[in-house]
Amino acid sequence: MTNGDVIEADVLCIGGGIAGLMAAIRARELGAKVVVAEKGNTLSSGAGGIGNDHFLCYLPEAHGPDLKPLVEELRKGQLGARLKDHEAVRVWLEHTAEIVKLWDSWGIPMKYRGRYEFAGHAFPGDAYPCHLKYEGKRQKAVLTKEAIKRGAKIINRVMVFELVGDGAVTGAIGLHTRENKLIEFRAKSVLLGTGTVSRLYQGLTPGWMSNATRPCTLSGDGRAMAYRAGAELFNVETLEHHAGPKYFSRSGQATWVGVVRDPQGRPAGPFVTKPDRRYGDMIIEVNKGLFSEYAQSGKGPVYMDCRGISKKDYDYMMHWFGHEGFDALTNHLEEKGIDLRKHAIEWATYGKRGSGGSILQSVKGETSMKGLYVAGDETTRSISPAATFGWIAGENAAAYAEGVDMPRPGSAKEKIKEYKAFLEELRDRETGPDWKEVNIALQQIMSDYAGSVRSETLLEAGLTHLRRLKNEARATMIARNQHELTRSLEVLNLLDLGELVCIAARERKETRGQHVRTDYPYTNPKLDKLLIVKNVDGRPVTYWK
Amino acid sequence: MPPVIEKDVCIRCGQCATVCSEDVFFGSKKKKTPVVTYPEECWHCNACVLACPEEGAIRLRIPLPMMVCYK
Repeated sequence: MTNGDVIEADVLCIGGGIAGLMAAIRARELGAKVVVAEKGNTLSSGAGGIGNDHFLCYLPEAHGPDLKPLVEELRKGQLGARLKDHEAVRVWLEHTAEIVKLWDSWGIPMKYRGRYEFAGHAFPGDAYPCHLKYEGKRQKAVLTKEAIKRGAKIINRVMVFELVGDGAVTGAIGLHTRENKLIEFRAKSVLLGTGTVSRLYQGLTPGWMSNATRPCTLSGDGRAMAYRAGAELFNVETLEHHAGPKYFSRSGQATWVGVVRDPQGRPAGPFVTKPDRRYGDMIIEVNKGLFSEYAQSGKGPVYMDCRGISKKDYDYMMHWFGHEGFDALTNHLEEKGIDLRKHAIEWATYGKRGSGGSILQSVKGETSMKGLYVAGDETTRSISPAATFGWIAGENAAAYAEGVDMPRPGSAKEKIKEYKAFLEELRDRETGPDWKEVNIALQQIMSDYAGSVRSETLLEAGLTHLRRLKNEARATMIARNQHELTRSLEVLNLLDLGELVCIAARERKETRGQHVRTDYPYTNPKLDKLLIVKNVDGRPVTYWK
Repeated sequence: MPPVIEKDVCIRCGQCATVCSEDVFFGSKKKKTPVVTYPEECWHCNACVLACPEEGAIRLRIPLPMMVCYK
């Protein structure tokens, strides 16, 4: 393994998803030398890699001069719990009009038939529908082009896995995913646009890790390396789940124009009784666990029923399916002769998507560490805040970079040496578990000991098992090639994060949302705050903020 | 297992392997028909199919555990 490559940047964007590319574009516009290090290819990577069709925004020309009523309405939907921070919501929404116009000018069509169209994610009677329909199928190609046009350097096929710096972040170390080499990045500021944490819990098909709502590559690398570097994480014990077609895991529930119905054909929720393109069925946002609850009580299955849809609405839905990234699903439906006008589709609650919570951040995208910024799914799991806070964080990372010197060579030397020896060992081993085996074992422990049911005894035992697994993985895991080496580093990141979930879940002695403690069955209003976990001298320490 | 390449139709441009973020085509060689080395890591995003310039050269086969249940 070689470690010859050294790349310097004012702003290093780790992850070339929506947030990373928006940050790169903005930082470059402000004159910073920008490098984007992407594990896959920015043309298709990240949660927005295959498209989106809803951009949550506040457009004064459509919504009026006052932001407040729109926010109040928004709190009723799936983002409700994430809209607590009033300043963050204001900053985000106030920037959305600018981003909508920019995207439209770059070639991501934000208008439908010449006008702004709001539909889906809405209750009937909503006075301020704010989910803008947009044609996002080619959004990653457009953003990649815009970043390159402005002079940002995009390096695909590099997994950045460790931050460098003492007190402030001054660079990172990456592994090429195809060539046998390590890459050293020296940077004045670093921005994490690494997405959410997938693959921590068993999904719809246990052992089949790619059957998930987020790409397999999103293994919480940014969060794990931020933690190791000393940044504060918050509420990592939180769990997220999602709902969609059974067994074909896909996000994008609000693109469906149908009614959620029980086996007798009765609507499961009170909101819609026939498919209507304006709304979708908001019962899914009110209770994503509905599908599991019906199945477990024997009342299921529950269907997404588009039957009775008008021709106009059907064509409309299929148009947006393409932009939301449903091509593989629609091709499959067609191949199997499943016509949504004639057949109702079973839906499922997708279990635990992964750890909620995030890297602690300000509205400027700053983390608790100097020189380290964050945006994207680590901010809010939605395309609009990813674009907006990517832009904002890129701006602030560039401004910070202006005030500091390029880090001196040599600061990463020891770490690189250590990692090189470890990675070569993984490649040299002839027998042992590969990353998949480790990942499946991890998912098993997380689902059984820190999943839907949690308690002190379960979490304590789970933590012991996890630590044993981690030691065993480090001592015996094999990687047959560079690709498997990359996946091995991913699973080691996931092991770190799994441990933090257990530690934080033990500390949160209450039941809140998906965090269900059988030994503390009630929600404690006094704990409606941030549970921080931080690496202090190699040990995880928790405290409340 | 997904994706499936029709060798006789494939023009060996490698676009599918270039665009795949999961790198399921790891180990593919330039100017050769790409190999699907890690089919079970496919996220069925369809990026390879969209990137392919040759009609019918590549498609996704959805694995049985992902079957859509309907009535």
